[in-house]
Amino acid sequence: MLGLKRRNYVVLIAMVLIMSLLAVGCGGSQDQNAGQDAADSDVIKIGVFEPLTGVNAAGGQMTLEGIELAKEMYPEILGKKVEIVTVDNKSEKQEAANAVERLITQEKVNLIIGSYGSSLAMAGGPIAKREGTPVIGCSPTNPAVTLDNDFYFRVCFIDPFQGTVMSNYATETLGAKTAAIIQDVQQDYSVGLSNYFEKAFKATNGDAAIVAKLNYNTGDKDFSAQLTEVKSKNPDVIFAPGNFLECGILVAKARELGINVPILGGDTWEAEEFLNQVVDYQDIYFSTHFTAEEPVTEVSTTFLEAFAQKYPNKEVNAFAALGFDTYILAKDAIERANSADPQAIRDALAATSGFEGATGIITLDANGDATKTAVIKKVENGQFVYEAKVDPK
Amino acid sequence: MDKHAKLKFILTLLVVLVSFGALYIAQGTMNSFYIRVLNLAAIYAILALSLNLILGFTGMFSLGHAGFMCIGSYVAGILTMSPASKEIIYFMEPIHPLLANVQWPILPAILLGGIIAALFGFMIGFPALRLRDDYLAIATLGFAEIIRIVVTNVIPITNGALGLKNIPSVDSLLVYWGCAIVTLIVLMRIINSSWGYAFKAIRDNEIAAQAMGINIFKHKLLSFTIGAFFAGIAGALMAFLITSIDPTMYRFTFTFQILLIVVLGGMGSLSGSVIAAVIFSILMEVLRFVEQPMNLLGLEISGIPGMRMVIFSLGLLLIILFYRRGLMGTNEFNWNWVLNRLGIKTSHQGKRGEAN
Repeated sequence: MLGLKRRNYVVLIAMVLIMSLLAVGCGGSQDQNAGQDAADSDVIKIGVFEPLTGVNAAGGQMTLEGIELAKEMYPEILGKKVEIVTVDNKSEKQEAANAVERLITQEKVNLIIGSYGSSLAMAGGPIAKREGTPVIGCSPTNPAVTLDNDFYFRVCFIDPFQGTVMSNYATETLGAKTAAIIQDVQQDYSVGLSNYFEKAFKATNGDAAIVAKLNYNTGDKDFSAQLTEVKSKNPDVIFAPGNFLECGILVAKARELGINVPILGGDTWEAEEFLNQVVDYQDIYFSTHFTAEEPVTEVSTTFLEAFAQKYPNKEVNAFAALGFDTYILAKDAIERANSADPQAIRDALAATSGFEGATGIITLDANGDATKTAVIKKVENGQFVYEAKVDPK
Repeated sequence: MDKHAKLKFILTLLVVLVSFGALYIAQGTMNSFYIRVLNLAAIYAILALSLNLILGFTGMFSLGHAGFMCIGSYVAGILTMSPASKEIIYFMEPIHPLLANVQWPILPAILLGGIIAALFGFMIGFPALRLRDDYLAIATLGFAEIIRIVVTNVIPITNGALGLKNIPSVDSLLVYWGCAIVTLIVLMRIINSSWGYAFKAIRDNEIAAQAMGINIFKHKLLSFTIGAFFAGIAGALMAFLITSIDPTMYRFTFTFQILLIVVLGGMGSLSGSVIAAVIFSILMEVLRFVEQPMNLLGLEISGIPGMRMVIFSLGLLLIILFYRRGLMGTNEFNWNWVLNRLGIKTSHQGKRGEAN
């Protein structure tokens, strides 16, 4: 009889299935009546999927502050009230995919904003594309995010641009002829930036210009091996994009070892934790999206004032500025489309040109990527100081 | 002789038919969000089932599941991506020429994902299974991390930290739940075979099992390899569900999520694992409301991100404190219980711990 009874497992699965179908089925019937057509509703719903818990929580939180600030300033679009639906993606890809699917099919949002962390953005992207809902990314800088996806846009510049900007800055302003790269091999961000820096630097200074390319892993605390090798190669500059935590230790260690050449990095360095590590040193440069000292546009000034008012105890940061920009770009696109229909918003977004945001003048190219001004900052007297602006070519 | 055997068989058959019918209808009527959550539930169910085989039935404390899943994902992803997207995605270093023009259909790719994961399970199990308990946990945890780091570093094959994108999307309930049902049937067969009895003997008392003439090492390796195979299958399905993968997905925290499902469902109960996986993935979405701003009796509460996880942690804590067996303990679902409830006397009561 065992032979028969074993089949009971199948039964169990089936029961669970049916139960779950019933459970979700009940929920489904309700929202079919509610708001069939998102475009005709009297509110405009903007979905936000950001990592509010998990490893990327800090970035998601900063971005969200910017979005909320912008919403407070412009609570209405086309005379309709804006409702922001925020869902946490837990810094996990499967959650990010669920979150986007939820925003589109359950909440029926007109447009989505998110997400900090390129891999999270990539998990959500294909769903938005399939369902035809436009997404504006705040800070996913990986070029693959908008690749092959007509519905994904972003207000930040991308890794190729950032890597190239730093390479040009090293060659033209710092007069470097040789460079060493130290990359975090586990971070797509770090690897991507290094790759484009290398390409650009080799193009201007010849194939032998990169004297060393060394790896470390997220979470490493000891960089003496890499730095000793770099020191022996004696490059004119070091390019070391990566997390602020590891890079803070790395840069401080380099200076301790007597490596006094300029050290260059990317936008993640703009964090208090990084500054604390390197507060005594100089000749540390990085590219970023935004500076408070040299407002790029009029909107920057507006943003700075509003931010200082709403969050008096917080430092202005690039992610909040980018969050702010995504919201006002969304508002602008909806107004240009003169409709809350996702397809119309998408078309308006794709045509964005010369839009004035807090982080600069934004023009979206054919891929949906922003071509805009990058800001270079340096560490001086224990502070981040504005150094230069680099316009896209 | 069970006089209700025929009745039970008919019931079973009926439920299977109904469930496939339900899957078919659901595919057509449910919106994509529900389908996605259910598909994720199926993946979690496969993972929990396979970890339960290793942990709950053979008593090996292995924490390497995310690593095997990672292998399955990458194998399936690389094999099914179109040559055109491979050319764009691998922009750091071109893809290895052997893989550049490969494009397999979905099902063989899933299968090969499982087989390669099983191969790694075998290779890792060979040295690691000489250890026991906590030592085994540490060793398998280490191996899973090694797999992840290797995947991060062999850029011509895996595209390193940038991960893969444009993996074909599969959103059919039948594929995900079909795999889950096959997993369940196979594991159920194994557990009621002589292998399964050996596994359980090893779990209950290794020395006694050895004294009875059971080849401990062989059976442990067998259980570990089968577990790795199904973890690889689940990994492949995950790649098709999300369509983009990268090594950071498979950090060891993911293994703990699966461990949580196994413990919730009951270590040593296949039905428990499935039920807990479904509950887990549905609750994760249902509980989102606690993170939204609420208006409670005129009291404005702003949403607190992470509240879902707090509720889960509390639940787990309560279960560990007061209901250590989990939802099902070591029991399995069986018809005797249902028939008894309906007032039909069966020849024997559903025995605890017996998968009848």
